[in-house]
Amino acid sequence: MQRRRILSLISGIALLGTVAACGGGATGGAQIGVDYPRADSDFWNSYIKYTPQFAKELDVRLMSPTNSQNDVAKLVANVQAMTSQGAKAIVMAPQDTGAIATTLAQLEQKKVPVVTVDTRPDKGKAYMVVRADNKAYGEKACRYLGEKLGNKGKVVEFQGALSSINGRDRSEAFASCMKQNYPGITIFEEPTDWLDTKAAAALQTRLTQHPDINGIYMQAGGVYLAATLQVLRSAGKLFPAGDPRHITIVSNDGIPQEFESIRKGEIDATVSQPADAYAKWALYYAKAAIEGRTFKPGPTDHDSTIIEVGNGLLEDQLPAPLVTKDNVDDPKLWGNQIGK
Amino acid sequence: MTKTLQFARFRDLALLPAIVVLMIVGALVDPVFLSADNLTNVLQQRTELSLLVLGQALVLISGKIDLSLESTIGLAPALALGLIIPASAHGLGVELPEWTAIPLCLLIGVVIGAFNGFLILKLQLSAFIVTLGMLTVLRGLQIGFTEGQNLFEVPLSFTYLGSARWFGLPASVLICLVAFAIGIVALAYFRQGRSIYAIGGNAEAARAAGIRTERVLWTVLIIASLLAALAGLLMTGRLGSVGPAQGQGMIFTVFAAAVIGGVSLDHGKGTLFGALTGVLALGLIENILTLGGVSPHWIQAIYGAIILIALLLARFTSGKAQD
Repeated sequence: MQRRRILSLISGIALLGTVAACGGGATGGAQIGVDYPRADSDFWNSYIKYTPQFAKELDVRLMSPTNSQNDVAKLVANVQAMTSQGAKAIVMAPQDTGAIATTLAQLEQKKVPVVTVDTRPDKGKAYMVVRADNKAYGEKACRYLGEKLGNKGKVVEFQGALSSINGRDRSEAFASCMKQNYPGITIFEEPTDWLDTKAAAALQTRLTQHPDINGIYMQAGGVYLAATLQVLRSAGKLFPAGDPRHITIVSNDGIPQEFESIRKGEIDATVSQPADAYAKWALYYAKAAIEGRTFKPGPTDHDSTIIEVGNGLLEDQLPAPLVTKDNVDDPKLWGNQIGK
Repeated sequence: MTKTLQFARFRDLALLPAIVVLMIVGALVDPVFLSADNLTNVLQQRTELSLLVLGQALVLISGKIDLSLESTIGLAPALALGLIIPASAHGLGVELPEWTAIPLCLLIGVVIGAFNGFLILKLQLSAFIVTLGMLTVLRGLQIGFTEGQNLFEVPLSFTYLGSARWFGLPASVLICLVAFAIGIVALAYFRQGRSIYAIGGNAEAARAAGIRTERVLWTVLIIASLLAALAGLLMTGRLGSVGPAQGQGMIFTVFAAAVIGGVSLDHGKGTLFGALTGVLALGLIENILTLGGVSPHWIQAIYGAIILIALLLARFTSGKAQD
């Protein structure tokens, strides 16, 4: 409660400051600092593109964003730099969800609210976690494969790094759903650390061992798509959907190349991770934090649900639609908006 | 001279008992292991690593070190493709004709090696620091001009070498075998090749003996980078695209393979055949773990433990202390 009062006080002062300085511009001049986790994947590049776009739309004053290159030490340094430059709220996406705890505690002391995107900190306070329901990714992939294969066959699963919460969530949800609902399907879990070389090697080996593999679940299309198709092509096992020899492939991410492959019938489905919604709602909550608003668990006005994940931490679980041949041309999907 | 040669031979074969044990274990884990298809896969999956190890082994024997190879394997194909694909596919918008891609890729490797050589030999900077800097710069260049995007639009001619089969074997495997054969013969029988050992053992003495050390070292650095560019070409063909992180973190495996195979970080020791056995051993271990369906949570620990056991085996069967 006290924190909220101080927050509104801060934003009030900041507002006065801007009014005095430049005759009233964007949101009270309270600056929001954004750190990008990495700039080397299609998904995060889209997020990077959407962020300034939504900042404009939401009338948010963005500081120049930093990039922590998937390194928690860089993230800590970036956050410190941004707070000393006067950031009133921070949006970050810590990929190492454990090592960020101390930084969160420091920010709490400085009364700088934090919105985390994509990942949920293992420990420490955040104003809001904006994240797609990663368990639903694994579950949707499992249901789709289970139904398509009619509860029989052999499925190869490319697991992301198990040291990341998203890799863990997807793997666990997929495994438990399969075990419960489709016990007739054999699963080969391949640890790949989000690396395409490891996935390609594992798939090649597995296809030699079990030539009758008929399903693949890849936890990140942006990483594994090209390598998977190339391995299948050189093994003479790439047949379009509808062919009895076709291997059913479900992916996660929703990048344009996956959509292209769905249209060609090379892969069957993907779960679209909402890069646009990540950017939009992260900034929305950061702004709300500065304005001193509070949120309660329950459904929101944008088709998502805020849940309490323990310790008073709130998480807005954004919907992640399953994309198949039927809805791949939907212009609302971010993968269809990119580059347009 | 004969004594060093014999010693080198010995280190050469140190890993063979470990490989024999791995083959037996593999066959027990799954009969598919010994099938021609599976063993071919293992070889193909290791081609890029083996080319980097070949380059690194040459550099290590000559007494230098090149960390930047792991970035060259990504930048060389990425930049070559960037120059030919249209800007809409994250290219640079130059759109050179398609046939130039492969020569460009190799040329970029040569240029990087020559630049490394300039900094290390002409400006007399530490090879470790120079190539560490280059590792970061080259990776950064790739992420910079591709804007961190995966380059998906790879022309068929560019993927040919990495995915074609010649005489029933992947072309990339044959290319690697030829590269290693040339290297082994050159290092054993040619004056220039032998001089690499001499320089690595004692650069001053080598110079006094009339070897043009600088020229040899420069050539070695260029060859290593060229091999990395070739590896990048093969990897692009095998994976069908150039990812922004292509090769990232690979240098650790390169050192692991080279050192397990008996190439010393201590200059002037080791053989290319030994390095090749190191690559094979790592490849077999990973293949067996995949076939055996080891739990994803334990695979790293088991992988590391097996490497240690292989080293122990090599240590006691060869009876030589390792350094």
